[in-house]
Amino acid sequence: MEEFEPTIVAFVCNWCTYTAADLAGTARMVQSPNVRLVRMMCTGMVDPKYVIKALLSGADAVLISGCHPGDCHYINGNYKARRRVKLLSEILTTVGLDPRRLKLTWIGASEGNEFAETVNELVRDIKALGPSEAASLGAM
Amino acid sequence: MTATYDALVVGAGVAGIRSALDLAGTGQKVALIDHSPHLGGLLVQLDKQFPTDNCGMCKMLPLTERESSSQFCMRKGLFHSNIDILLSTRLESLEGDPGQFHAVLRKHASFVDPTRCIGCGKCAEVCPVEVKSEFNAGLEARGAAHLPVPQAIPNHYVVDLDNCVRCWRCYDACPTKAIDFKFAERESFNILVADPDPQTTADLAEWLKKQKFPIEGPVDGNSVLERAAEGKDVRLLILDMSLSDVSPERVLSRCLELNARLPVILTGTPEQAEAARLLEQGALAFVEKPLDRAKFVPWLDKLYMRIVSDEIIEIDAAAVVLAGGFSCYDPSEVADVLGYGRSPGVVTSLELERLVSSTGPKGRGLLRPDGRPARRIAWLQCVGSRDLKKKADFCSSICCMISIKEANMVRRLTAEQEGGPAETTIFSMDLRVFGKPFQSYLDEAKASGTRFIRSRIHSIIPDPADPGAVRVEYLDDAGVLQVESFDLFVLGVGARPPAGMNELARAAGIETNEWGFCKTMPFEPARTSRLGVFAAGSFSGPRDISESLVMADAAALGASRLVNIYAPLRERRPQPEPEFRDVTRERPRVFVAVCSSCPMVESRLDTDALTRRLRAMSGVTGVALVDRACTSQGWDRIIDKAREVDPNRVVIGACMPYAYVPRLHELGKALNLNPALMDVCDVATLTALGGDDGEGTDSEVFSRLRMSVAKLLGADPRPTAQARPASPVALVAGGGLAGLTAALAVADHGYEVHLVEEREELGGLAMNIRRTLDGEDPVKHVELLIDQAGKHPNIRIHTDSRVALHLGRAGRFFSVVNTPDGPVPVEHGAAVLATGGVESKLYEWGFRVHKNVMTQQELEQRLADGTVDTAGLNAVAMIQCWRSRDEERNYCSRVCCQQAVKNVLELKRRRPELPVFVFYRDIMTYGFMEHFYTEARRTGAQFIRFSPDNPPAMEHRDGKTIVSAFDPVLGRNVEVHADLLALASGIEPADHSEIAEMFGVEMDEHGFLKEAEYKWRPVASTKYGVFVCGLAKGPANMEESIAQAQAAAQRAVRMLHEKHLASGAVVAEVRHSLCSLCGKCIEVCPYEARRLSPTMDKIQVDELLCQGCGSCAAVCPNSATILRGYSDRQVLSVIDAALEETV
Repeated sequence: MEEFEPTIVAFVCNWCTYTAADLAGTARMVQSPNVRLVRMMCTGMVDPKYVIKALLSGADAVLISGCHPGDCHYINGNYKARRRVKLLSEILTTVGLDPRRLKLTWIGASEGNEFAETVNELVRDIKALGPSEAASLGAM
Repeated sequence: MTATYDALVVGAGVAGIRSALDLAGTGQKVALIDHSPHLGGLLVQLDKQFPTDNCGMCKMLPLTERESSSQFCMRKGLFHSNIDILLSTRLESLEGDPGQFHAVLRKHASFVDPTRCIGCGKCAEVCPVEVKSEFNAGLEARGAAHLPVPQAIPNHYVVDLDNCVRCWRCYDACPTKAIDFKFAERESFNILVADPDPQTTADLAEWLKKQKFPIEGPVDGNSVLERAAEGKDVRLLILDMSLSDVSPERVLSRCLELNARLPVILTGTPEQAEAARLLEQGALAFVEKPLDRAKFVPWLDKLYMRIVSDEIIEIDAAAVVLAGGFSCYDPSEVADVLGYGRSPGVVTSLELERLVSSTGPKGRGLLRPDGRPARRIAWLQCVGSRDLKKKADFCSSICCMISIKEANMVRRLTAEQEGGPAETTIFSMDLRVFGKPFQSYLDEAKASGTRFIRSRIHSIIPDPADPGAVRVEYLDDAGVLQVESFDLFVLGVGARPPAGMNELARAAGIETNEWGFCKTMPFEPARTSRLGVFAAGSFSGPRDISESLVMADAAALGASRLVNIYAPLRERRPQPEPEFRDVTRERPRVFVAVCSSCPMVESRLDTDALTRRLRAMSGVTGVALVDRACTSQGWDRIIDKAREVDPNRVVIGACMPYAYVPRLHELGKALNLNPALMDVCDVATLTALGGDDGEGTDSEVFSRLRMSVAKLLGADPRPTAQARPASPVALVAGGGLAGLTAALAVADHGYEVHLVEEREELGGLAMNIRRTLDGEDPVKHVELLIDQAGKHPNIRIHTDSRVALHLGRAGRFFSVVNTPDGPVPVEHGAAVLATGGVESKLYEWGFRVHKNVMTQQELEQRLADGTVDTAGLNAVAMIQCWRSRDEERNYCSRVCCQQAVKNVLELKRRRPELPVFVFYRDIMTYGFMEHFYTEARRTGAQFIRFSPDNPPAMEHRDGKTIVSAFDPVLGRNVEVHADLLALASGIEPADHSEIAEMFGVEMDEHGFLKEAEYKWRPVASTKYGVFVCGLAKGPANMEESIAQAQAAAQRAVRMLHEKHLASGAVVAEVRHSLCSLCGKCIEVCPYEARRLSPTMDKIQVDELLCQGCGSCAAVCPNSATILRGYSDRQVLSVIDAALEETV
């Protein structure tokens, strides 16, 4: 059987993590090909429905990543994301999705290797976890 | 052709960038140059800054007119429509006068054509050279062909000719033929040899045969002159000093007269002393005879490449800002005592920054030289600072904080190691934590476990018991000798003038001070010795980022004041606002252009299939594969193809999307289409092609393009709203030094200023100071300002007045000033709060009970007016940090140590034998003030350190004060019977509660007005359009207050300048029909850009204040709030597009 390759949607902030992802890319750090980057201006604008939408439309995991706490270009957007993700994780459990499928990290602009590590780690975890439960929930 | 700019900014570190952005923001054309091949100066090497331990550089970007500048991480780069950036460029000369400078710039060739380089790195792979990498502070090797910084965009390789061995391997390896060593041009590079000895010419002809240089000679002096007069094509002259028929000097001067740029190489024996003189007269180099083939040939060939490849650029500019920064002290010269360069465990603070960085040297990390994790790390302060022997009688101001930050970084990095975070120890003399938030930063570091030890370690030696570690000995506070071993020892290296300072100073025609930094004028901290040339950042002395930016703003203000004066005389090109066609009623027609030539994509991509799949997408009307989209030819092809298709949406698939942002503006003009309807999609880098197998590349690239198309299909095509104009008036609250300075600076730009002072007289606290530490007269200066403000046609002064009402938003404020003649309404676009501070007085320690106890400032005044007679004194005691830096007022008041040193010097000047004792915690004579502290100690005054848990005790007896304290140097208690006790009382904020509430600005925990961001927006308050400066913002001396006031004025001018303050393309809107007026978006907006309309039926968005963060859209329960460019429709369809195949 072919190995399960998880698909991950990553909502990354324009200022920090997108830069880190770019750095990871230009430095050719080996990563999973199945990460779809969606650049947002700020993690604070990641509406919970985007996360749910992604998980219900076939993503095996969602990564949200922005500036370190205190370093948000928009003052406090990342704190808003943090609160939202906390609540959202609980909701995921209720609807039958593993909360490990939603991950929030802070990755600064110069931390290309951290981005690579985070993604690789997430891919590893999700591989262990298997395909999303969304399919069996009849969501699609 | 000479390009004309308003200002030239030399140095593109943070200060230079800041000055350039400031000037560009007021509509001025700026040339920004830097000698290095990258932007960002030293900061590219520092991941995090104190006291936030974060980056935050992007907070420097303009908040208004966002579309004219880059909107991405500044570590990647910068662009602004008013700034031309020239890297690897030096200032060669600066002629002319303020308003009409003429600058000659030399752009050093990188030998890599940036329009051809695709950043593949093949040149670096084959380069056999290994030299120390500047970016990784020498901890890693790089080739001569190398990438200067990893994260810059666009990121092109460069060849460092000085270290090149001319093997030409990079030339052969380059797949796009981007590297150019000018091989063919050698054949027309005529070399003329004027040497009586025919052997020289014969040798040269033989040696240079391979290079095919045409060599002519030998000729005598007269024939050189003849050829020069005839205009013969001579590209290089080799002139021997033994030329006899005409003197070499005459030949040189005549040749240079006819062709000022003719390279002339002198040859001769070292005894020929006149060679040195000829070099000064313009000869390029002197080479000793006999010529050494092995050295001379490569040297000449490189010289040739420089001559033909370097570019000379001449520009005209009205004003010049110098932001050359500083360099770090090289501790190699003290290798024998501190072990740097000998013990691998001894590193500099800059090297440590690289070791803990994500982009640091590969495989190094925070390890001992033997590869084990470093668990015990120590810092030694003042390496190369505060050191008379090293001619550094100044404090570098930043190293204490840098070391604390590094200790924090190390602890965080090692937090999860076995045994917890690494042990961190800082050895220092004083801890100079004089910035407002620095004391609490230090307290936190102490609480988190970093040890602070008072000692200037003498030497660092290898530890005999543990090879790989180093050992130090020091005396602790109890006087006991301690021996400790550390895995890494970090030298907190001090600041030095930037490399090449002398050449820059000479080229710019400015004077330097005795430590080699740029000299500035009293009470004009940004002015250099040359009129029209300003100093920004740490060019005039070591400073942290916050203060560097203040100085950069002040320098920019100086420059823009000048530009403003000369503006009527200068031709200004009007820049018409591009008007884009309205495509609201058109069906989307997407044009997709994909760069097909990148070798990373080329080999793996089935371009035909990709084109087919793209064409099949709904809404896509044209697809084009473009060869090398990143080059200007490639770009022209995109424009041509786009014209054929006539699209109303454009997607470009290429590598490094950031690099295309300025080009989208061009394309927008060419197609008459709003760049907001265009997107550049990264098809090469990021996650996709990391692996070696190209499998999946096709679908990956397609998927990315599909996401971009989906985003644009959902984009709102309506033209972006134009925001309203700002009222060209400023309100300045506070008529002290800072307020007056700010008011005059704004008024000089032609804007009306209302200056409001509570008291009946202008002048403020500065009127109480008799002399500054430098011996200047502040009262005279302030009186001059009062006089100028009184006569200024644009300034209206309201004394004995208060601001009674303040409403509105940035650009459109409305205030009422209550004056003795009744209320005055003021409509203004910006406000500057300079409401000052007070000298604090705490009634204890006998103050106001005993006549001989007074504040330091009173002592200064009483010495000046004669009410204290030094003749009658037997001893004077001073106690510093009287209620500063403790629980109640946990900040350093900055000015008290300067005041104490000033008083000590004055007392000692009058009576050299008078015993003076200063009890202190840390002497905060940062920067060049250190030199006065040294002087004060030389006078014999005793400085006795006390620790806050054991402060001096006091007793008043018979009109004398007996101060007893523990002296850590003597190791016992001392008792001083003083006739006079001076207390350093410190600075307290004035009562700002009323003004803060009225203006809607926040106060910090000490009661000062809070900065929007201490580091990067130091004079902005938490309310947009309201700026803070002077003592209202925090303790500062006069020079600092002036710089802050000028910086605040600069920000205000930036706000007032715009006739139409344009908002960004990414901005929030409200669909009123869906809005339930719940008000969640009002609460959540970090910029206070939203409010309920006065009629209470709508949520209004201030497009100017809105920065497009999208918080409101995420929180809106009805999806009534939409962020342009990121609407739900767009994001959801992007998610669909991202996942389409996997479903």
